[in-house]
Amino acid sequence: MTQEMPGVPAHEVVARLGPALSARARVRAVAMLVLGLAGAVFVTALWWTEPGPLPVRTQVGFALLSAVCLAWAGYGSWLLRRKVPLFAADQVVAAWIGLVASLATSALLVVVTVQRGAGPWAPLLVGAALTVVAATLLVRARRRRAALLRRERELTARDLETP
Amino acid sequence: MSDELLVVRAQLGDRSALEELVARWQTPVWTYVRRMLDAQRADDVAQDAWLAIVRALPRLREPERFAPWLFTIVRRAVANHLRDRYASRTHQTVRDLDDLDPSDTLSDTALHDPIGGLLDRAEAVAHLADLPVPEREVLVLHYLEDLSVADCARVCDVSVGTVKSRLHRARRLLRERLEEKGMEA
Repeated sequence: MTQEMPGVPAHEVVARLGPALSARARVRAVAMLVLGLAGAVFVTALWWTEPGPLPVRTQVGFALLSAVCLAWAGYGSWLLRRKVPLFAADQVVAAWIGLVASLATSALLVVVTVQRGAGPWAPLLVGAALTVVAATLLVRARRRRAALLRRERELTARDLETP
Repeated sequence: MSDELLVVRAQLGDRSALEELVARWQTPVWTYVRRMLDAQRADDVAQDAWLAIVRALPRLREPERFAPWLFTIVRRAVANHLRDRYASRTHQTVRDLDDLDPSDTLSDTALHDPIGGLLDRAEAVAHLADLPVPEREVLVLHYLEDLSVADCARVCDVSVGTVKSRLHRARRLLRERLEEKGMEA
């Protein structure tokens, strides 16, 4: 009897996975998450440090802008968890981008709040929290990659020893 | 190169390792899907399964247990497909493959049509379509995909004892079908 075989060849299966594996998809998802979070933190800081009572329409505007930024961040996070695979090297790069973005956002927050006459402690605390989270993600990503590289070396050596 | 090494390289971001992994496991994945569904839908569902596999691959923590992990995802893809099909046809709720009727997964024409029905192994494979889904599934995983009973249990999310009893029942049913055919002949 002839063996029944898949109707789609392997290279075609890989080609159809292209959109999910593309660098563009990964960059877009990471950018949405980072920019969305940074935007939400920045807009919220501007809102809180506004001198004097704000009209209701302005308050609604700030709230909407923060919500839009959070929605983008949520969408980026969902893409990274469900749709776009981030392999070990990508995770390290994404974590570095997150760390740089959190440091830049923190610096901007401090400058803006001090210029507006508010104390620097609140933005410093928020910035520190953001930076700690980003740094933790970076350490985890580097550890994971190092563990995989170590395992790859062990397995390669084992493969070479096997006749 | 071992599967585990390929998986680790793919997890590190090596695209060629990922492509080799797909090439190596494409036929086993497709064979499982094909035994559960008809030929028309097997290619599409196998492709959906591969997309889910690639998306989940960075989160796989035990690369040495790639095969059972892979078939768990493929099984879910088949169940999702059948659930959608049931929902659109009968609005009946299907929670798992165990709830399905054999006729809804693999039609007789799928196995017996002259073009698509060129079967691979023993004559027994042709009778898989007659088996209930839970029994057919463990039979395919254990005998066609060479998974151990423990791995079958993990893939199907049931106990080892349940897999053994399903295998026993599947063998008995298959033997009965073959005997019936032999008697008719």
